[in-house]
Amino acid sequence: MREGFSDVEWLARTRAEGDVEAWLAWVPYARRIGVSAIPDPHADGLLYRLAPSEGNVGNVLLPALHGGVVAAFMETAATLDLMLATRIPRLPHIVDLSIDYLRTARVAPTHARCRLLREGRRMANVQVSAWQEDEAVPVATARLHFVLADPVTTDHADA
Amino acid sequence: MTPDQDRSVEAWRQALTRFVTVIPHTRELGLEVLTVTPPVVTMRLPWCDDLLGDSARGLVHGGVLTMLLDTVCGSAVLCALPALEVCPTLDLRVDHYRPGVVGRDIFAEARVLRVTAPVVFTEGTLWQEEGRPLARGIGNFVRLGPRNTPPGFAEALFAGEDDHA
Repeated sequence: MREGFSDVEWLARTRAEGDVEAWLAWVPYARRIGVSAIPDPHADGLLYRLAPSEGNVGNVLLPALHGGVVAAFMETAATLDLMLATRIPRLPHIVDLSIDYLRTARVAPTHARCRLLREGRRMANVQVSAWQEDEAVPVATARLHFVLADPVTTDHADA
Repeated sequence: MTPDQDRSVEAWRQALTRFVTVIPHTRELGLEVLTVTPPVVTMRLPWCDDLLGDSARGLVHGGVLTMLLDTVCGSAVLCALPALEVCPTLDLRVDHYRPGVVGRDIFAEARVLRVTAPVVFTEGTLWQEEGRPLARGIGNFVRLGPRNTPPGFAEALFAGEDDHA
C-alpha cells in the first residue's frame, strides 16, 4: 500500500486517529524548522509548536527568529489543522497568505492556534495566531485561503 | 565612508551576500545573491529535499516561498535606503500561482516600489522556470531609523570595501 497525502485510505485512517505526526513525516521543511502538534491544555483540539533552534534565526543582532520561518510554521499549522477539521478528508492547497508581524519573535518556543472561519465546498479560510510566553501577546497573526482538493484527484500533478 | 547610494553593483552584491550569509537560516540553505541593481535584487535558492512540503508528490512547501520572499524583499530594502537601517517586516502578502516542484532551484527577484519616512514598500516574484511564476509577494518594512540601527551595521556589510576604493 502507498502512503502519503494522495493515498485516500491512509489519509482517512491517520485523520481518524488524529495522527498529525504521520502527516509531518511527509513534510520535510516543517521537520527541518521543528514543527510539532500538541494537545490544547484548555480545550479539545490541537496547538502547534515551533521548537527554538539556531537554524531558524533570521536576525543575529537581537537575536530573533526569521519572520519567513514563523510564517512557514503558521502555514504548516493552518494546513494540518484544516486537514483535521474538514467534514470529510480533503487536501488543502494554499492560495494566498497574509501575515502581520506584531512583535519580535525571540529564539524561544513559539505556539500557534488555528481557527477555521469558513469551510466551503472548494475554499477554506483559516486564521492563525502565534505567541511565545503569553497567548494574549501574539508575535504574529495570519490569515490564509486554501483550495480543498479531493484526495483522489491530484489537482497539481500537471502544474 | 562611501555614501551607500554611490556603492557599485559589485559592492552591493558582496554586501547582500554577507547579509544572507550572516542569517543562519538562509546560510544553511545556501541562498545565493545573483545580482543587485538598486532597487532590484535577484537570488537563487539551490535545490535540497528539505524544501519539500509534500515528499510523496514532490511539491515545495509554501512556507519556503514565503521565507524566500521575506528574505529577498528585505534585502532589496537595504539597497534602496539613503543610508543603511535595520528594517523588520511589518507585513507580507503571498499569492501562490502554482506549486514549486522537486529538484529545481528557486529564483527570486524583488524590487522596492516606494520609500517613505516610516515604511518601505516592496514586491517580489519567485520562479523555477522562466515565465512561469510560482508566487508573488508584497512586503512592507518598517524603518527603525539610524538611532535604532546598531553602530557598525554598514561597516560590517561593506567590510574591506573602502580599503581599496
